[in-house]
Amino acid sequence: MTKRQLKLGGFFSVPGNHLAGWRHPDAVPTADMDFREYAHITQVAEEARFDTIFFQDTVGVAGSRALARGERTRAKLSRTVKLEPTATLAALAMVTSRIGLVATATTTYNEPYNIARRFASIDHISGGRAGWNLVTSQIEDESENFGFDEHLAHAERYERAAEFYEVVTGLWDSWEDGGLLRDKQSGVYMDRDKVHFLDHVGKHFKVKGPLNITRSPQGWPVVAQAGSSEAGRELAARTADVVFTAQTKIDEAKVFYADIKDRAARYGRTPDDIKIMPGLTPVLGRTMAEARENYEYLQSLMPDDVALQSLAHISGGLDLTKFPLDGPLPELPPSNAAKARQALVVRTAREGNMTLRQIARHTAAGTGHRVLVGTPEYMADEMEAWLEEEAADGFNVVCNYYPKPFEDFCRLVVPELQRRGIFRTEYEGTTLRENLGLRVPENRYIRHARQGLAKEAS
Amino acid sequence: MSKVRRQLRFGAFFSVPGCHPTGWRHPDAICETDLDFRYLADMARTAERGKLDCMFFQDSVAIPGSTAVYGAKPFRVKNGRQAHIEPMSAIAALAAITSRIGLVSTCTTSYNEPYNVARRFLTIDHISGGRAGWNLVTSQAEDEAVNFGRDAHFEHGVRYDRAAEFHDVVIGLWDSWEDDAFLRDKKSGVWFDFDKMHILRHKGQHFTVRGPLNVARSPQGRPVVAQAGSSDIGMELAARTADMVFTAQTTIKEGQDFCNDMRSRVVNYGRGPEDIRIFPGIMPIVGRTETEAREKYEELRSLVDDGVGIAGVARLAGGVDIFACDPDGPLPELKPSNAARARQDMIIAMGKRGMTIREIGRVLAMSQAHRVLYGTPSQLADDMQAWLEAGACDGFNLLFPHYPKPLEEWVTMVVPELQRRGIFRTEYEGKTFRENLGVPIPPNIHTANRTSVQVKAAAAND
Repeated sequence: MTKRQLKLGGFFSVPGNHLAGWRHPDAVPTADMDFREYAHITQVAEEARFDTIFFQDTVGVAGSRALARGERTRAKLSRTVKLEPTATLAALAMVTSRIGLVATATTTYNEPYNIARRFASIDHISGGRAGWNLVTSQIEDESENFGFDEHLAHAERYERAAEFYEVVTGLWDSWEDGGLLRDKQSGVYMDRDKVHFLDHVGKHFKVKGPLNITRSPQGWPVVAQAGSSEAGRELAARTADVVFTAQTKIDEAKVFYADIKDRAARYGRTPDDIKIMPGLTPVLGRTMAEARENYEYLQSLMPDDVALQSLAHISGGLDLTKFPLDGPLPELPPSNAAKARQALVVRTAREGNMTLRQIARHTAAGTGHRVLVGTPEYMADEMEAWLEEEAADGFNVVCNYYPKPFEDFCRLVVPELQRRGIFRTEYEGTTLRENLGLRVPENRYIRHARQGLAKEAS
Repeated sequence: MSKVRRQLRFGAFFSVPGCHPTGWRHPDAICETDLDFRYLADMARTAERGKLDCMFFQDSVAIPGSTAVYGAKPFRVKNGRQAHIEPMSAIAALAAITSRIGLVSTCTTSYNEPYNVARRFLTIDHISGGRAGWNLVTSQAEDEAVNFGRDAHFEHGVRYDRAAEFHDVVIGLWDSWEDDAFLRDKKSGVWFDFDKMHILRHKGQHFTVRGPLNVARSPQGRPVVAQAGSSDIGMELAARTADMVFTAQTTIKEGQDFCNDMRSRVVNYGRGPEDIRIFPGIMPIVGRTETEAREKYEELRSLVDDGVGIAGVARLAGGVDIFACDPDGPLPELKPSNAARARQDMIIAMGKRGMTIREIGRVLAMSQAHRVLYGTPSQLADDMQAWLEAGACDGFNLLFPHYPKPLEEWVTMVVPELQRRGIFRTEYEGKTFRENLGVPIPPNIHTANRTSVQVKAAAAND
């Protein structure tokens, strides 16, 4: 019997997820703006048979409120500028042929018509390899670029996101297959009966349709989500094909995993319909000792002020610079922005008995994702254990800097996973859905017609 | 006699599967050019081989005429332009497989947010190494409005008001970072030079946008800005803001008047008269002989659909019910259009010349009212050279009736003739779109008057 297979994503947090990683001698710090670097790491991922690459996104410079206040320490933070991910996916489609291409686009500051056509377009361009990571925007850095002083409250954001999703998927079904006749003889280009008007009228959106692009090669592009709050989990369970999450401990990851799959079952979905992929940051070494040295060296690159900044967006407004670095993490006021992330950081600090400096460095190192420090075998052991114990369906690999740690992961860890028979040596199909083992969603208008017919028959 | 002759420039205007709305019925037409990206990729390579300045993608955020389809009027299903790949995604992808040609996409200011548009074009500019262009338009069709929560599109004046402010926000965001703002200095640990970051803090009637943009400054200073508005308000916006103007002009005299008018407006904004490139549209039909060209023209004319044409007239009628009129009668008095003002003036002029509704419709339904030019390569070159030398254009935007064959014929038949005459490049002059277009790199608005900005910043800190 074939073993359960891992899914792997390359989560490209350029120029490095570790906020001081760009200072490493091996780091290529222009990996944030130079498309050739994006193309390179994507091709490396494809050679290693990764399911997808993935870009997170914010519609603003992270920390721009602080920058606007004149906080100069932020000038040491690397993740300031980068290529807009959806345009980047379209370009990457041209230099790859099998790997999935997933990008974040917010439901908070976009219009569903624009988002629906953009991802459908990328799906057409890539031959069925596009994915949309549906998020809500949660920081003031973003809201102030869109005419709002504050971001929308948590509940309203999710309500808008859920309606946004309905509109987007409805628009994706605008055209039945065969809707374009292109009959030169009769002169009829379009089959009017196979084109559908959505006529959506909701609380947040009023969208008539139809979409001006036909159904995509995957039916719908893959939908990913990353919300870990109650509202986020519920939306993901109902709508997501892939769930990205930050999980650092196997017991908690198992609980999260079971919870999402249970919720999905309540929406009539099977466990295979939704793939759960926690983030994982590898710090490799030939020996465990060497790996730990590599990690220590990396941490030493991080100035204290930069480390503290990484806690700013979850501090609930508390100024952490007023507390001693070698003391404990103080009690934090509730955060409207990133509830789940705040809870995770507080727990990590308490459980690890960490000082403020340590938790700040820890957070800065992986922004909450699990950091695995060790040999390729150790990493494969850990990943295999999480897979077997149903803590994960796969992992999103996010690196401290680029491209070397990612190249090393692909060169050293992937072959080990393949040797153990838990990761593919060839792509199963040509679309992202095929490679993830996901079904092509049926067009709702065909389903309605079918269900209508069934009713008539009965 | 060593003086370099004035050079023609060309854009390939892409409206897939053809600029002739029913040209897709031509035996040579490949209809799948609308959605199969491999054709677009091939055509981009062809266009680059032909040293064209740019590919210029039309767009609308709806199926054009979908409200008519909703009413189940049968004419609409004959038009080939139903579905297409979103052009900004298309040019991002084309950037990865071309190296010199400019890549222009239309993007509306009516149903977007300036922050999103600014970063997408600037990103494509980085991906392409400085070859992106934004055709700034306002949305003027009801088909589009209803996809964005509105029952009707914005009124003409409001639309342009919003467009002007939208432009200013985008420019301000594009200039968020000075060219050398990113130090990436591993030793000192300083990622960027704080003083070379500029926060826009825009507060206007339509937009409030703080900034800065999360994309570094463009390899060509700024993406090229194109515009197609030929109404008075549209020309004024173009004169202030555009590097490139796409217009419909049918005679040398009209072209000269438009160029003179536009250049004098440009000068009024303190810009050089040559800082803007003016591209009238033409639909070229080339044959090895004049007879062959005429036959091709007649064949394409025979494919024109009267229903599509009359619907085109109706769209510009400002609410007058054209379908109720005798198609072989005169054009009635039209109400001022809230849609394409300049285009409405054009059909009113046709009506005054005695053309019937059907005849006017046929002009719209063949070439979207752009000039149709048929002949041998030499005849086409004569015509274009005359426009160039008369100061009636800087070049032309080419509207091919269908794809890909007419584009290939242009590159293999017409381009060599123009090159032989010394009025078209044999090699790209530069690497960026601006270099090839010969338009200046704009100074960063935040440093152009650095002193006053510093004074303001100091005041804000008090």
